[in-house]
Order: sequence, then structure tokens, then C-alpha cells
Amino acid sequence: MLTEIQQVLRLVMILAKQRRRCGLKTAGGLLVLLWTDTGDSVQSLNCTVAAAGPWCRGIQMKALQPDLRDLEEIMLPCAWPCPPPDPEELFAFTDLYGSPKLLLSFQMNARLLRPEWCARLEAFLHTFSVHNAGINIQLRFSLNQQIVQRDFRVKTKSRVALANQPSLILDVTSSTVPPDWVETGRWCVGGHPVLGGRLPLSIPPEAMDQGLFGELSVQPVTLLSPCVLQYPNLLTQLTHIKVLVCSPSNVPVTGPSTFLQNLPAHLDCRELGLHGLRCSSFKDLVHSSGTVYTAEQENCEDSEQEWSPPRAQQRLLLFLFLQHNDPFTCQLSDIMATEVLIERHLEAILNNNRKAVTAALQTELRDTLKVQNHRKKDQEKLRSAAEVILSSSISIVSCSSNMDFRNACLNCMKARDTHELSAALRKSLWRVTSWKFIPKSKCYTTQMEEHPESDELTRAEI
Amino acid sequence: MMGCRGADLFSEIDMLRSQLLHNVEVTADCQRVEEEISPQDVLTRIENIILGIVTSLSKDEAPVLALPNRSSWANVSFDSAIGLQMSSGSSVTTIRSDCALSVAKFAQILKILLVIYRLVQSNSYATKRDIYYNNTQLFGSQKTVDGIVDDISCMLKVPRRSLHVFATSKGLISGDLCYIEEDGTRIDCHSSSAAVAVSSNIDGIRNIVSCAKFVLIVEKDATFQRLLDDDFCTKLSPCIIITGKGVPDVNSRLMVRKLWDTLHIPIFALVDADPHGIEIMCIYKYGSVAMSFEAHSLTVPSVMWLGLLPSDLQRLRVPADALIPLTSTDENKLTSLLKRPYLTSQPDWQKEMELMQQTKVKAEIQSLAAIAPDYLTSIYLPNKLRYGGWV
Repeated sequence: MLTEIQQVLRLVMILAKQRRRCGLKTAGGLLVLLWTDTGDSVQSLNCTVAAAGPWCRGIQMKALQPDLRDLEEIMLPCAWPCPPPDPEELFAFTDLYGSPKLLLSFQMNARLLRPEWCARLEAFLHTFSVHNAGINIQLRFSLNQQIVQRDFRVKTKSRVALANQPSLILDVTSSTVPPDWVETGRWCVGGHPVLGGRLPLSIPPEAMDQGLFGELSVQPVTLLSPCVLQYPNLLTQLTHIKVLVCSPSNVPVTGPSTFLQNLPAHLDCRELGLHGLRCSSFKDLVHSSGTVYTAEQENCEDSEQEWSPPRAQQRLLLFLFLQHNDPFTCQLSDIMATEVLIERHLEAILNNNRKAVTAALQTELRDTLKVQNHRKKDQEKLRSAAEVILSSSISIVSCSSNMDFRNACLNCMKARDTHELSAALRKSLWRVTSWKFIPKSKCYTTQMEEHPESDELTRAEI
Repeated sequence: MMGCRGADLFSEIDMLRSQLLHNVEVTADCQRVEEEISPQDVLTRIENIILGIVTSLSKDEAPVLALPNRSSWANVSFDSAIGLQMSSGSSVTTIRSDCALSVAKFAQILKILLVIYRLVQSNSYATKRDIYYNNTQLFGSQKTVDGIVDDISCMLKVPRRSLHVFATSKGLISGDLCYIEEDGTRIDCHSSSAAVAVSSNIDGIRNIVSCAKFVLIVEKDATFQRLLDDDFCTKLSPCIIITGKGVPDVNSRLMVRKLWDTLHIPIFALVDADPHGIEIMCIYKYGSVAMSFEAHSLTVPSVMWLGLLPSDLQRLRVPADALIPLTSTDENKLTSLLKRPYLTSQPDWQKEMELMQQTKVKAEIQSLAAIAPDYLTSIYLPNKLRYGGWV
């Protein structure tokens, strides 16, 4: 089922992308509706994918029919067409986004479904939503008289401008809850994607034999979350890196990648300022769309101190957008087939460009984590200077014979003696220093849902 | 004969001295008295800084220090009786404790405040060098310590001497002068062959005894040594010569000021006929922007320009090959000097500098050796002093 839905989404995205080149918007809605139908002795699962809104304006189902017939075998090898659903099922969707410009329905034997297909489908659609944040997705299950609906609607999105390509709209929502003492409006609820350097990829011979030609490349985009740019003195600690690969039509590539799973062994972790990276277990279906690395942490000396500086744990999302250009591939069926080939041979393509891809990813991660490493150095400067400030101040208080002065200092910090004063001053200095707030116009406050679009997402900005 | 020659040689100088004594304002001494800060005052001012820091932290605010900006011309004003002095309400530089770029300086300031606090409390003294070597890792360089000590003096509005921190002197002095240092050491500057290093504790000097008719500030050490070698102090006795070896350190300037305050004799400057030499002379006379907060104790507005004057080059027909063309840096410096507020009250100096601008040449004092090897000490300086050749 997932493969079929993926193919249908691929079709929709290719059609939409062709129209976006003409400057159309990326907003709209996508409905994935699933319902069971028991006929005879076979339980069938029906699926309808509908697209509506500005992003697919200009698509005409009638004009597409010849192409759809040609594409049936590629898109729906284990499924067959079925009648569309009851229009009432579509009301909630059409009310919001208008009548669908594209509506495809198909049916498959429910017994062929893989276990936990529901969870995998949800994870896939969630990842799709991350890559295509302008599209609001409704997933409705009507199974065994039970109706379950999931909405994938992005709170905070950001546009990433690409050269000679329609812009990407990414979900940059941060789910991290800020600490209690952070004032309202002083926490960035989004992230700031950074466009990396595009890397051309050579196509391996076995893929060429299958008919894959043209120019293939990968466009990395990195996103650190949560954003702590407004807290320049806050220490950060990278906990996870998640790599998401996307086909040229912006449909997530599912399935494990041995190349990516083994990547940590070929990265220079020291250059990244990390103790180590290891690929997380693939058992968790939630993470099945993507490869996740866990960053190994060094033994924290701070735990030995009375009070250690706060740290913000961050995750890094590394998008790898595959791009393909072949002037001889312009028919819809050819484009679909090429994408299928790219995904099928992705492992071979990555291995064929192993050194270049590894070096490029090393560079992207290094440049992204540079900020974290600068923070560590700045934190060290602040820490060593703080010790001098505190010891000098306490020494003057301690050796002063001016009782008024001494009492004023103790009373200010509600301390009984210089020992308590020292502890109180230390704690306060660390707190005001660590949580120093400098507003940044590009950060997202809780009042804003969408940040004004900016095309100036270059590495120099970070 | 000697008496007649002496009277003849110093008649112009004696007349100048009478004139200067007539112009000396008695209030200058009163101002000096007012500036005296007690050790307790110094401790209290430091305690106020610390209390400010504690108060900020009690309100969950990052402590900051405000340092008056000592490098901006916008923060100084000119008074002909004093020289360049820091204006009230001058702009400040904020040193934050929560910024990685400035926190090191914040810590350095606190550390030196602690050192000063302890020195003043125990009535002991240390040099800036001592402070640096006690914590080289924190300070990084001697220059950092030097700058911060001056910043603290300016921030607390306390004379440097009240901080109990001495600077190392680089100046030399020789001539008709004896005095006793604070630790009781008797200093006699009469030696003809060797000069005495300027003291590190000018404020502690007592019992100054001198019959000198004038003080000659010499820009360069090379010229100073030449005067020593030619036994200038004997030939033009009684007199005092002093050098700061280029841009003068604070102690050399304090010494010149002390000689003026004590002896009230003419003070002449012998500098190269170039913009750099003129600027050095202006520092002795009017002070510097960086130390403008202590102008009262550092400047000697009565300093006269004895030589080498640009007009001397023409008058004496100094050989052309001893003259050096002005560089673009020289011309820029000359233009800048002419715009300084103190030059408007010195029309004769302005004329000399405009002459330099027109001729576009400069010359070192050593260029006089092209006329004759001992021209400087045998002819030039004696004639200048005899006939009032100063401006």
C-alpha cells in the first residue's frame, strides 16, 4: 500500500512541480483516504488520493487519462483501479481546499498488506509533510466502522531557494518545550535551514544499463533544532543526526540505506567536535523514513561541580534532495520511470560516489556544527573569566573593613556570610550569562506561524 | 669673566623666567591639592564598583563596567592653562560580563582592582610589570596591564599615583639637580658622563635642589647621549637635560611637571624638525588624549620650542643632502597637528609648521653635524639660548 501511495504522490508532485516552474504557489491540500470493502471472500482495501488547492492548479484529470493508463503498471503493480469514494467522504477536504484537481482511487487485497502498514504510512506522510510543508495532508482511515483521522499541518515553515529549481518549503517546527523561566515570545519555535553545496553524482554503469541517463546531483540542506540563536551563550549538545533522502519529485525515499548506515565510520568525528556517531537501531518504525545517528557524549566534567551551565540538546536534520535533469526525459511516464530507477539504484549511486559524498557530508556537518563548537569556545572564555570575576569580587568583600559595604553585598544576595555570597553570585552570574537573550529578526516567536519568506539562506548568514 | 659670560648667556632666559613667573597662576597649586585622594577614598571607590556588580547580579542583570573613552578627540577639550583635558560627560565604552568578546577584559579589570585594593590597604607598591608577571596567562601582554591601569585611574577618577602602581620609567635625566627618593635614596644628576634613570615614583621625590637656569627636553636618546658626550651640562651650566626617548612615558612627563612646579624655570624642547618630533613636544606641553584625565599633573603649558625649527634649516643653510622630503604620512600628520585645538594659541608654531608644509622637507637634529661636527653643542644651542631663539 505504501509503495502505491508513494507512486501516486510522485505523480502528483511531478505534475505540481511542472506547474511551479510557472510560478504557482506551493500551498494546498492532499487527502489520503482509506476504507475497507468486503466483497465475496476477499477483503479489499480501497485508497483515494486527492489533491486540491493552488499547488495543483491547472491539472486536468481528463487530459491526464491517457498518461494514467500508461502509468498504471508502474504505479499500481499490485493494485487495480476502483470507483471513487462517496462524495460525502470528501466534503471535509473540499470545504477547505476546493474541489480536487486530481483524484485517483485504487484497490488492493488487504491480505497483501505488510504488518504495521498503518504506522509506516503515517510515518511516511509525516516525512512527506516535512519536505513539502506547504501542503496540508489529511489521512483518514475508515476501517471496520472505525474512523480515524490524522492531519499533517505544519506550524512553522521556511522557504529554501534553489538555483534553477522551484523553491523548497520545509517544515522547520521545533517541538522542544522551552524551560519555564524563558519569557513568552523569547523562544524560537522554528529552525533555519541552510543550503549546502550541490554535489554532482556520476551514474554507475548498471544504472545506465537500465536506462538512467542525464545529470544527477544531490542538494544537501541542514536544519538544527531547536534554534538557540537568540541565546548566544547557551551551550548546545548535539544528540542525534537524522538523514532524509528525497527523490527529485520531493517524495521521501523509504527503506534502509547501507551506505548511510555505515557513513559514521567514514566521518571524522573529531573535526565535527563529536566524540562519536553510531547508527541507531532500525527497529523503530517512526524513524523508518530516514537514517538516524546518535551522537556519543563525552564524560561531562560539569556534573562534578555544584552548578553546571545549562545545555540545549539539539538534533540535526540533514536533507539530501536528489536532483535529476535529462532533456530527453519529458514524458510523464519517462519521468516516473526515471525516478523509480534512481531510487532502485540509489545504493549503487551513493557507493559509486562514495568519496565525494562522504567528503560533502563531512563539510556540511562541519559547517553546521561550527556554531556549536564556537559556543563551546565562548563558553570556556566565559567560564574562566567568571572564575576571576567572582574570586576578585569575593576577595575584596572578604578583606574589606567597611562593614556597610560588606553588609550591603550580603543583603543584596540574601547571604549570611561570604561563603554563601560566593555561591549565590556564582549561580546568578552563570544564569544571567547562559540565558543572555539577543532577539533575532529571523527567529520565530510563538505569535508567528509563518516567517516572512527569505531567500538569503546562505552559509555566511550562520 | 665667567660671571659676565654666564650673565650674558642667560639674560634672555632670565627675562623669560620673569615673564613666566608673572603668568603662573597660583590656583594651579590649589587644584593640585584638591586632586589629592586619600587611600580610603580609593578603597571606597573600588568597593562601589564591586557593590554595583553584586547589585546587578541580585537583579539577575549582567554586570557591566563603563570605561571613559580615552582614545577619542571628541572627549577632550583644550584649556590654554592646562592643555588637553577630558571633558565631563565624555562617552564611555561598556565592558559586559555576559559577552565572550569583552568578558576577558572585565575579568582583567576586576583582577587589577583587587591588586590595587590590596596595595592601597597595605600601603605597599608594585610595578605594572609585577602585576603582569603575576598572571601572564590572564593578561596576555604587558600592554594589556598598562592600558587597564590607566583605564582604572580614569574610571575611578583617581590619579595614577594613588593606585600604588608604578610604571617602569624609560626616561633619563642629567644636570644640576639633586633630590631624595621616597625610600631615602639620594640622587645626584651632576655626572657628566652618565645619566640617571627617571624615578618610578615621582610623587615620592623630596628635597629637590637645583640652580638650573633652564630644563632642556630632548626628544631622542641619541641626541641626549650626544649632549652628554659633548659635556653640554658643563658648558651651559647650570641646566638640566631630560629625555623620554621618543614618545614620553608618564614618569618622564611627571618629572618635567615636577621640575616646573618646584623650580619655575624655562623649559625648552629640542626635537627633530619633523611632524613626529613636533607631536612629541606637544605631548609634554599639552598632554595626550589617552591621559587627558590626568592633564593637571602631566602637562607643562609653558614649554617653549627651542629647536630644530624649520626656519633654522633655511637660516643656517643646512646642506640639502641632510634634508629629507616629507612623506605622505608626514604631510597627513602635519595637517592633523595644524587642526589641533592648541595650535590656535601658538601662531609662531603654526608659522613654523606652515613653513614645513611649504618647503616639504624635514630634518633630524643630527643634520646640524653636516655644518660642523660639534655645531649642535658649540654653536647652535648656545646661540639659541643666548639670543632667545625659541618660539
